Formats: sequence, structure tokens, C-alpha cells
Amino acid sequence: MKIAWPHMGSLEVVLTSLFDEMEVDYILPPPSSQRTLEIGAKHSPEFACVPLKTTVGNLIEAIEKGADTLIMVAGKGPCRFGFYAETQRRVLEEAGYQFRMFPLEFHWDKLFELVKTINYLKQGRSWARFVRAVRFALHKAYLVDQLEQQALHQRWQDKQEGATSAALKKAYQLIRESSSFEELDRARREAFQLLYEVPKDEGREPIYIGIVGEFYLVLDPFFNLGTEEQLGRLGAYVERAVYLTDWLRPSGKNPVGGVPDRVIEEAARPYLSHTVGGEGIKSVGHAVLFKKEGFDGVVHLLPFTCMPETIAKGILPMVSKDLDIPILSLVIDEQTGKAGVATRLEAFADLARFRRKKVNHRGMLPAFRTHLA
Amino acid sequence: MNNGDNISFTTELGMEKRSMRVGVPSGLLYYRYFPLWKSFLEYLGAEVEESGKTTRAILSAGVSKAENESCLPVKVFYGHALALKDRVDAIFVPRLVSLEKKTHTCPKLLGLPDLVRSAAEDMPMVISPTIDFHRSLWFNYRAVYSIGRIFTSNPFRIIWAGIHAWRRHREYQKKLAEGWEPLLAMGKEKGSPLCEGRKLRIGVIGHHYNIYDTFTTMSLLERLKGYGADIITVDMVPDAWKEEEVSRLPKRIYWNYERELVGALLACARRRLVDGIIFIISFACGPDSMIHILCEQEKRRLGNIPMLTLVIDEHTGEAGLITRIEAFVDMLNRKKKREDREKIGELVAV
Repeated sequence: MKIAWPHMGSLEVVLTSLFDEMEVDYILPPPSSQRTLEIGAKHSPEFACVPLKTTVGNLIEAIEKGADTLIMVAGKGPCRFGFYAETQRRVLEEAGYQFRMFPLEFHWDKLFELVKTINYLKQGRSWARFVRAVRFALHKAYLVDQLEQQALHQRWQDKQEGATSAALKKAYQLIRESSSFEELDRARREAFQLLYEVPKDEGREPIYIGIVGEFYLVLDPFFNLGTEEQLGRLGAYVERAVYLTDWLRPSGKNPVGGVPDRVIEEAARPYLSHTVGGEGIKSVGHAVLFKKEGFDGVVHLLPFTCMPETIAKGILPMVSKDLDIPILSLVIDEQTGKAGVATRLEAFADLARFRRKKVNHRGMLPAFRTHLA
Repeated sequence: MNNGDNISFTTELGMEKRSMRVGVPSGLLYYRYFPLWKSFLEYLGAEVEESGKTTRAILSAGVSKAENESCLPVKVFYGHALALKDRVDAIFVPRLVSLEKKTHTCPKLLGLPDLVRSAAEDMPMVISPTIDFHRSLWFNYRAVYSIGRIFTSNPFRIIWAGIHAWRRHREYQKKLAEGWEPLLAMGKEKGSPLCEGRKLRIGVIGHHYNIYDTFTTMSLLERLKGYGADIITVDMVPDAWKEEEVSRLPKRIYWNYERELVGALLACARRRLVDGIIFIISFACGPDSMIHILCEQEKRRLGNIPMLTLVIDEHTGEAGLITRIEAFVDMLNRKKKREDREKIGELVAV
């Protein structure tokens, strides 16, 4: 049995760690590429959202590499994400592939099925070992997110373009290689040291840009066409609304992003007063919060036809007008070109810089997300 | 949901001594619940104003105002809301969250009141009770009651309005199930019923706002009647059959209206209720994009009932649509003739 799963940002680090700890066979699908998008889009429903198309592509490439057991998270809506596993299964069966699919549903009335599935997937390893492995993997995810956040915060200071990204890659490698809590602790120190040691240009003034949107696009640099890196290069201190850990730990406290769900929903209430599935309400709430914290602009990323984010996109212009903060909505699908996004981001960064000079206070640091900086 | 300005507005109106004019945009859930809303609001003493049938002007207003990525019915709904905004004191857009436990309606319907509020600067007050049967009955009662309080302070009148409206709603549903189009069932237009023993029978499966909107579907139902076909819609398939089909599926479908669509479509296929199925989807419809492949696969397992999928959006051309429908109907006719001949052949042989 060779397990595979679709890519999503740094989920790979978490799950490889989990399966390595358990000594269970797995196959890592090749990194998402143009080919992934093409074969995914070929087999998927026409106006399904990009994440579905690319995950189908990932799964096909994994099966081609020899995977026979696919795992995928499932849910209960109202966003389409909860129905992904079922649709992927049908799409792949339609395309004639041989595999077994295990949807993992995380809520109370599906607990029995979940336990049964995990029991099967862990292939006779003990439950204690499974719990230990999960705990360790979550710690890794947390660390990865903290590093990523640090990189987002400091990229604008790079003396040499891409230095932070290179350091981040090295840091990931350190984390991937560590296999015990002591090693992870050492890796944490070394990794942060790597990031801090990147040569900095002290004379610059940053602009502050927040990123909100659908998590798949926000988390995965391949699909947001490197929006975060580009913004960093344009001199922006970037903060993200959602991190992988915030999503994996459904306590609503968001340890990395730093703002609990309750606060976000409260912030969104004047504009959107009911959850609409996915990240819809969070996108609106975070946009409001970013303004309150003194950010200069918000970039909103959404896949084409995404239902919750389309609602957010309809409401964000009002937020922008009410609170006087520029918001750029980028709709991304498999046809989106890199140059188009780059041009818009450049123009947006110029606008934000202009506003920082004229409207916002010079050198003011955003209010309460600085606890890790 | 019943915030401060609503109440002050009522007292202000009370002083003016005129009844409040409430606008109901004729899009999306209008085709399902309008008699319910209308009788509830009118019983409470409001004047109900509709935006009427979709027209070219309404559609283009909606398209220019709504998000590009929205689906066609939401764009149409924007158009209707904009057409009403200058004529009324308030717009009635309920937030329907779920119709039964562990289900949801489409996310677009969850966010609809907020979308309408942000559609224009000078939007009148938007009345939006949150109806959510995933939560307790008490929650829903309070939602309805708080709407009633905008119009009257007499609690019994509100309760009676609710009961009255529910009765009207049941009558309306019964009429839909008997095969009357919404406008005929509401008694606004005269016309022939969907089923009256014509030679073909076609299942037209799709959301109410897609199949009954005569403008965006270019009067599909009328045309099919003209080609000599009886029509079966989602409403006309008994609920028990739909539920039976849906419960057979491996993964529970959690969208209320999609459950109905899938149930109706599969019931049509399994029980051979129809000669062919026309499945209507609006472009960029989220849930439908997922269940389409499910329907195709499951239907194939139930034997080969021909199915035509029509994806409509604001650019759909009349000629393209008609050609496809004509071809489909011709094919069904030929198929039916051949089958009849075979049947007669068998009888003769016996």
C-alpha cells in the first residue's frame, strides 16, 4: 500500500514527517507544475475551482508514480471543498485509474468511520505511535509556519534579492531532517538564526500589505504565482491571514496568525454578518483588521468561481470605501499569466507606498502582529 | 438581525400612517417562496412590490453591478434588487441557511443579504431574517417574529400571519407538484400545464431560478411544450423518491437544493419517468459543477436515458440553444418511434 495526497503549501512537510515516523510507505507527487494543471483541468468539471483541478492533477501524477491509496480531507459544507474527495474519486474513476480513496472527515458523527480508516491506514502500527507522530508533525508544521511568517516580515529588507527565500529553503531542510523533539528544538534555533543572518539593508522604508483569501491559494506559492515573494521584492512587509497551523488546529485560536476567529467575525459583522463557508467571512474580517492595524493595502486572492470568496469580493469594495484602504482582488485560475499578476502587484505596491507617505504615518509599525518580529 | 434602525424606522412610519412598501426581487428563491413571503407580509399590513419578470434591462443592470465571477442567477438578482430600490422602503431578502439538519443552501444564498446591501450606495433597508433549520425551531420562530415586529406590535397577529402564510405556501407547493409553472400557480398568467399527455416526456432538471426564468432560458419550457413534449420538473417528483435516491449515494450531499436535483434526476432515470433529461446549469454554479459528474455517472449505471446538459450564462445565444434543444427532441422522437416499432414487432411475433 502506497499512500499519496495532493499538495497544499507546506502540508508536505507535515505528512511526510507523520508517515516517516510511522514507517508507512508513501509517494510524494511531483511538485505542482504546468503539466499538473493541464491534466487536472482536462479531467475535472469545467467550472470547478482551481484547487480541485490541481489536486486532481496531483493525484493523477501520484498514481502514475505508483500510488494506490489516496487520502483526502472531506467535510460537510457549504463550501465545495467538503465534496472534493467524492468528486476526485469520480473523476479519477472516469479517467480509468486504479486506486482506493479514503476521505477523512473530522467531525463527531463521523468519528467511527475516521477511526476505522486511520486504523486501516496505519497498517498495524500502534495507536500510541500514531498519536506521537501526529503530535510531532503538528509541531513541525507550527515551526514551518513561524519561519514562513518571519520570512514574510523581513523579505523587504533583503540586500540581495532572494536571499531570504534561499535561507528559508535551507531552514525547511533542517526541519525536515530532524526526527526528535530535541533535534527539532535545535533546528528551530538554527533556522531562525539563518533567517536573522540574511544581510539587511537598513535604510529602507517598508510598506505594509496584508494577504487574505482562500487558503489553498494563499498557502501555495505555485498557485498564487509567488505573490508573497513579489510583494517582498517590491518592499512590502507582508502578513497573511491564514497559516497552515491555524487551519490544522481547529480551535479557532489561530496561534500563528495571532487573531482568534471570534475577533475576526466580530470585525466582519458590519459588512458580512453570517458565515458563508470557506474563508469568506475571514477575508472580510481580516481586511477590516488589517486597516485597524495600520496596513497600507490588502491583497485578496481567490480562485475563479470560488463561492465564499466571490461573496467576499462583492463585499470588499464597500469595506475599501468605508475604511479607506486599497484592496486588490486577484482572481486566479489555470489560465492566469504571471506577467499580468506581476504588473498589477507593482501598481498596487506603488499605490500603497504613495499612501504610506501621504496618508499613514511614516515608519509606524502595525499594531499587534509584531510579537514574532 | 433586527437592529436599531429598523425599529426607529417603524415608529417613523407609524407617525406617517402609511403602510410600508416592501420590495421582493423576483429572482433566486422567489420562485419557491414568493406566495409564502407575500401573504406573510401582506397579512402584517405591508404593501408588497415585485420587480416582475426578468428583462434585458434588468439583466444588464445586474451584470454591470455584480461580481464578474458570480453565477447568472445572482447577477439577475442584483438587477431585480436595483430595479426595486427606488420604489420601496425596504427590500426583503431572507437568509436561508438550511432547510433541514446537516444541510446548507448554496453559500451565495448565505451571503445574499449582505451582497444586496453592498450593491448600491443608496440601498433601502434590507429585511433579512435568518432561517436555519440546522438550529432549533425556537431560533427560527424568533427570526420570523422579529420581522413581524417591524410591522406590528401585536404578537398574535404575527403568529396568525405565519400560519396563514404557511397554508398558502402548502397550496402553492401542491400546485407546483401538479405541474403548474410558478407564475401560473400564483395565478398571474394563464397557460397550459406542463403535463397534458403530449407524445414525449422530458425531465427538465435544474434550479427553480434557472428553469422558470423565461428570459435567461429563452422560454425553454414553452418551447418544449410547442415541440409536443410533456415536462417533468424537480417539483413534480415526489419527495420520498428523491430522498430514496439521495440516500443511496456513498457520500451525503450537503446542499439542500442539490439533494433535490440529484434525487429527482436519478428517480427519473431509475423509474423511467421520462424519455430524456435536460439538465440546466448556470455557468459558475459551484454545487452544480460538482454534482454534474455525479449525476452522469450514477445515471449511466441506471441505463441509457439520454441527457442533454445546457450551461447558460448571460452570453448564451438563442440560436445555439434552440438548435441543441431541437436536435435533442428530434433524437428522442426517433428513439421513441424505433422503440414503439420494436414493441409492435414483438407483439406481432407473439
